[in-house]
Amino acid sequence: MTGATVGSITLGRQAPLGLTKQRPPSRFTRLFSLEYLIMGGAIVALFVLVVLPLCFLLIGSIWGENGFTLEYFAEAFSGRLYVQALLNSLILGAWTGLFSLLLGLPLAWAVARTNIPGKPLITLTANLSYLSPPFLTAIAFVNLFGPNAGLINAFSRDVLGLPWLGFNIFSMSGLVLVTVLHTFPYVYLLASSALQSVDASYEEAAQILGASKWRTALVITTPLVMPAILSGVLLAFVNAIALFGSQAIIGLPGRIVTLPTRIYSLFDYPPQYGLASALSLLFVFITIAALYLQRAYLAKRSFVTLGGKGARPQLMDLGWVKWPLFGFCVLVFFIAIALPYMTLIAVSLSKSWGLAFWQGLTLEHYRFVLFDYDVTQRAIRNSLGLATIAATVAVFLGAIIGWIDIRTHLPGRKFLDYAALVPLGLPGIVMAVALIQFWLSMPIALYGTLAILLLAYVGRYIPLGVRAANTSLRQIDPTLEESARILGASWGHTLKEITLPLMRPGLFAGWLLVFVPVIQELSASILLFSSSSMTLAVAIYNLYETGYTEPVAALAMINMAIIVVAIALARKIAGGGIGKEPDKNLTAQGGTA
Amino acid sequence: MAGITISSLSKSYGGRHLRLTAVQDLNLSIQDNQFITLLGPSGCGKTTTLRLIAGYVTPDTGSIHVGDRLVSSPSGVVSPERRGMGMVFQNYAVWPHKTVYENIAFGLKLRKLSSTQVRDKVEAALALVNLKGLAERFPNELSGGQQQRVALARSLVVEPDILLLDEPLSNLDAKLREKMRGELKQLQRRTGITFIYVTHDQAEALALSDQIAVMHAGRLQQFGSPFDVYTTPANRVVADFMGLVNLVPGRIRAISGNTAQVEADGGLVLLASCPAEMAVGMEIDIAIRPENIRLSATPEALAGVVSERTFLGNLCEYVVVAPGGQALRVQTHPLQQFSVGQSVGIIIDPSQCSLFAREPDAVASAA
Repeated sequence: MTGATVGSITLGRQAPLGLTKQRPPSRFTRLFSLEYLIMGGAIVALFVLVVLPLCFLLIGSIWGENGFTLEYFAEAFSGRLYVQALLNSLILGAWTGLFSLLLGLPLAWAVARTNIPGKPLITLTANLSYLSPPFLTAIAFVNLFGPNAGLINAFSRDVLGLPWLGFNIFSMSGLVLVTVLHTFPYVYLLASSALQSVDASYEEAAQILGASKWRTALVITTPLVMPAILSGVLLAFVNAIALFGSQAIIGLPGRIVTLPTRIYSLFDYPPQYGLASALSLLFVFITIAALYLQRAYLAKRSFVTLGGKGARPQLMDLGWVKWPLFGFCVLVFFIAIALPYMTLIAVSLSKSWGLAFWQGLTLEHYRFVLFDYDVTQRAIRNSLGLATIAATVAVFLGAIIGWIDIRTHLPGRKFLDYAALVPLGLPGIVMAVALIQFWLSMPIALYGTLAILLLAYVGRYIPLGVRAANTSLRQIDPTLEESARILGASWGHTLKEITLPLMRPGLFAGWLLVFVPVIQELSASILLFSSSSMTLAVAIYNLYETGYTEPVAALAMINMAIIVVAIALARKIAGGGIGKEPDKNLTAQGGTA
Repeated sequence: MAGITISSLSKSYGGRHLRLTAVQDLNLSIQDNQFITLLGPSGCGKTTTLRLIAGYVTPDTGSIHVGDRLVSSPSGVVSPERRGMGMVFQNYAVWPHKTVYENIAFGLKLRKLSSTQVRDKVEAALALVNLKGLAERFPNELSGGQQQRVALARSLVVEPDILLLDEPLSNLDAKLREKMRGELKQLQRRTGITFIYVTHDQAEALALSDQIAVMHAGRLQQFGSPFDVYTTPANRVVADFMGLVNLVPGRIRAISGNTAQVEADGGLVLLASCPAEMAVGMEIDIAIRPENIRLSATPEALAGVVSERTFLGNLCEYVVVAPGGQALRVQTHPLQQFSVGQSVGIIIDPSQCSLFAREPDAVASAA
């Protein structure tokens, strides 16, 4: 036995410290190890959350009282109501996509490539627009542009005597306006990060060969960032057509019925599950097709790494042109952020919303919604609880599924990955229909409970959890885990000591990315809630439906305050420097509101 | 005690359409207490072999025994954490969220040592790798060389039987690499741990190893001491990989015993030791290392003309064109000077030549 004593440590040839030598474990014992139990649990969860409800949705759409039938699809394709809803959705999506481009691209270019002043304002505008609940913007604009009571319409009619100056928000253009304010950040975020990651050397190389600045922009820069821009437009499209809140608040009074609102109306008594399922599948088909195109575009981006670091973009000196562009940015900020929030604040403080709203400002409505309206406190508790649990579960499931996909050679892991991405193509209302179909045929009574809302939220946002986990796992070299294993750490110990701590920043960003939309989720909740499982967004919508203009605004402001406080708190807990803005990589993966 | 026996080990990757053979039919018997190097160009299967030994990869065929304990076979693999081995990775894999102390203590805590024992052993390990006083630093506050030592200390502190090292020096600059090379060798001698070291750097392999396993295209080409592998390479691939070599085409004129009389193109006749499978009349290549050729200003049996001269400091390298048109690389003492265009005599030491059967596409098909 050769050995050397170095200090008090004997580096000699004894048996390794404390590690028992064992034979290879049999397949049986391996199947019941922690590793396989956790992975198996995640797979089962994914099936219950996504795969089975979708299967039941499919079955529900082709299975009538007398067995197999295509009557629901026939009805969906021939009924005037349904074709009209489909057309309206497509028109809305197309206009929204176009205007998102017209708004998002100049802003992105200004921030990424010019010397325009006030860049933080633009970033703030995009982030706030992305975070604001779309139905709040809709409610604010109704208060301004409602045909009779809208403040601006009333002002131009009664004070200026110019009724033609008014604008009816309850129209397709009104709906497009309100929707675009929520969807243009998709184009902005994707385009600006692509523009930022084009290294100046590409452009300088073209210029030294004799190309002018504009020619360089046309033949070098544009082709490089085109995939990102187009994919941003498609994401705007997909998200626009899925927004239940604004389509119900703006569209229904204007008799513009879209797919989500039509599906919603099919649940009026007597509910038409089969038809709702068929319409939902049609809806899924559209969003999946658009997302497929988006991925195909994004796949071509190999030359521009989204969110890449280290690139040194070339800033263009705009001269005097920067001032009109800056004016445009301020205008966007005003319309997208300042106007709606100032309106909501004003409405919530006014005794009675109207031309003389500043007379008799009051906090009465806040008191009413917080203390007298018995729904509010329950709704806040439910929403906070659901969002916290849903975000945590989605992120942990995502971490396990991401780990299986990236670190194992498990057969079928690609299927798992796809299954976890499918909800990106599921508008909230479709998710709700699928869950109803599934759980109504199960022996467990979940309908109307908080549990089914939780299932809906986790199911809808699991793609964000998986993407967050994937992104951070890819940045963690597998040797960091392997070196723990060879030192004697089990799978579980390695996960706890090495993998999860290293993933923490990414997982936390993912957590926030799930938490915020869940707090304001309306599209799925609207079909799944009951009076005991009321959520904040549903409470606001119901209050609005009942016609309480001022208390709605107060509740909306409370909702925003909760979101802001929650984000601030969560950031503080996780430590700084995380999730300063919506993660561009995650946004790039899409997701429907 | 901790010898490693690898028998007919194979591993390939990929799907149905494109299968890449990483390791093919590898047989290797590694003795206890040795410094073994797996040497070869990138993609030769050396890292896969190391990962097979560590238990990260399940073999397609064959087996690995440590001592008389079966640790890997296609039907099952003892997981890495039960092998009692250590491993140092090319990128060090020092955990960025743990301090130097926590990194090194990780394996000790898993072995349920008391906190005083842990502290003592970590201190000793830090001293061993000259990192005293850096225990509370985080890895991003360390240089590459220091991180490298942390990785080393982390693997050594748990006193493994076998330490696996995957190109541990390749990310260091030349000077530090030289220094760490010396320290590694010393460490192995002092501890008696079996080191299995993967590298593509033949100089490193020669300097460090007791035995070198030269791999190419997934197959073991030669296993032997550095001296054997360098001076009597088993085949053209090994000769080519282990340093500079001139390959002069020729044919065997006569064989007596294990000595062959060889005639190179251009008329040079040599006596060289001859592998058993060769026969009179065979087309062959004669492998001659540049340092085994001497030049002289006076005429010799073989003459040539200097066509290039490169001064390299510690030696001088010439390209000499022999009468047959063969360009030979020759290394001489730097003070032995010839000028371009000069006619020189060429003296080849036949005992240092190797003969390989001629193959049209030599290097590629040697595998």
